[in-house]
Amino acid sequence: MSDRINHVPERIELRLPGGFQLPPFGIHQFLALMIVCVALWALGAVWLGLQGAQQWVGSWQGNLQLHVYLPVEKKDQLGDLKARLSTIEGVDVVRHINRKEAALWMKNWLGDTSLDVDKFSSQLPESLELTLADERNDFIFSDIRDEAARFGASVNEDEIQLANAHELLQSIRQLVLFVSVILALAMAMIVSNTLRMILLARADEVHLMRLLGAKEWFVRMPFIMEGTLLGGGAALLGWLLLWPLVLGVSSWAGSLGIALSPFTLLLPLLFGGALVGCLGAMIATAKLISPDSVDS
Amino acid sequence: MHRYCIPMSNDQNTVSKPIITMQQLMLRYPTGKVALSGVSLAISQGNFVYLTGESGAGKSTLLRMFYGGLKPSSGQMGVQQWDMRSVSESDVRELRQRTGIIFQDHKLLFSRTVFENVALPLRVQGWDKERLVPRVRKVLGFVGLDDRLWSYPEALSGGEQQRIAIARAMVTNPPIILADEPTGNLDEETARKVLDLLMSLNQSGTTVIMATHDLHLLTSHPGRVVQLHQGSLVGDSYE
Repeated sequence: MSDRINHVPERIELRLPGGFQLPPFGIHQFLALMIVCVALWALGAVWLGLQGAQQWVGSWQGNLQLHVYLPVEKKDQLGDLKARLSTIEGVDVVRHINRKEAALWMKNWLGDTSLDVDKFSSQLPESLELTLADERNDFIFSDIRDEAARFGASVNEDEIQLANAHELLQSIRQLVLFVSVILALAMAMIVSNTLRMILLARADEVHLMRLLGAKEWFVRMPFIMEGTLLGGGAALLGWLLLWPLVLGVSSWAGSLGIALSPFTLLLPLLFGGALVGCLGAMIATAKLISPDSVDS
Repeated sequence: MHRYCIPMSNDQNTVSKPIITMQQLMLRYPTGKVALSGVSLAISQGNFVYLTGESGAGKSTLLRMFYGGLKPSSGQMGVQQWDMRSVSESDVRELRQRTGIIFQDHKLLFSRTVFENVALPLRVQGWDKERLVPRVRKVLGFVGLDDRLWSYPEALSGGEQQRIAIARAMVTNPPIILADEPTGNLDEETARKVLDLLMSLNQSGTTVIMATHDLHLLTSHPGRVVQLHQGSLVGDSYE
């Protein structure tokens, strides 16, 4: 009998304030969750777009190559051209693609065909493959063009455009990173304002806990936990909402050779969301003053 | 921790070790207003003390100083084992954990059950959830409200709410209970019942210091009366 009366009845849910006990989930928290979720979803979508663009320009591996073509009739100058190109600052490796390798590439490119691949490949110019150490060198492409022109060779201009696009993507990446930081701060402020409202509503509770001699971590922990979970929950929801977007553009992206993977964003979004929520909660509780505080 | 020990040999009412001592205590608010001036007093363990005086005499201010809500501007003040002039934040927390406080407005959490209100000081002190129910039930039994464990305070009368506040103050078994006009909003009959409870606590060894205007209660519940007037001590007697 005494055991029964000394236990919490099943219909009662204990909500003891302070410590590792979460405050009740209300309309304020729901609104903050939705706002942070939308912001994180938008951020995730931008990063996914950047991921796709990087795949499209072929710079996913971070290894940029450029080809210079020398007409067959000038192949006796190939050694000099290779030596000159190697001296250009920013060119890492210059490799001659021999005729056998070129024929194999053409065979693969043409696929299952009845055409005489050897005959076609014999018409191909001599090819030099340049691996660039740094495509951000302003003069590297004009230097390569100049040297190639001196020997009557030509440069694959499509590859130069891709290199320029890669450079542009690097700049966009920096911009997105900056926007991400600004959005993170904005989200932290949203969480902070939400928790500040909750703190105002529960000022009596905080005051009472302090009057009873509660330690500061005990008073603040529920709010820190709430902020962290709010951010983490919004990130998870935002990540889940990325899937309809990815599935919606998958066939179009597939035709461009792009395979978007939201899984690469799961951990950064979750960790970032939780961090932003925790930061917001810490801002909200930084000046949590009650009457009768020790220093009041 | 700052230990405090002032000999109070001139206090003939001291029957055991002083739990609170004050000498030439002064409190000046940042606005310049002097709330307490030249108060010298010793309160022994087990005393039942009424703090009386007109509104603004300094009763509530003195009570707040007893739990570290305000620090003395000058003079000396020792509460339990701490020197209140040089007490640290962690010392104040420890002092508050060893002090029961009852307010005129109860300061009950109306969104929490009676159990959650009374269990709060135990939770602050790190008690396991399993131990809370028997302890809270026992204390509520003492104030006659053990059948209201899972009720919300708003469902209780003013007197019952004040008894819940008493239960919350005594649940950790503190050596001292401070009560700031606990009968101020109650009718005479209910006020007597509340005072009966405080007297019972005092008889079990708890020091009770109560600020009050209800001097007529002294006839049925005698105790030491400390009278303040405009921040100064003007009377100290047993009635």
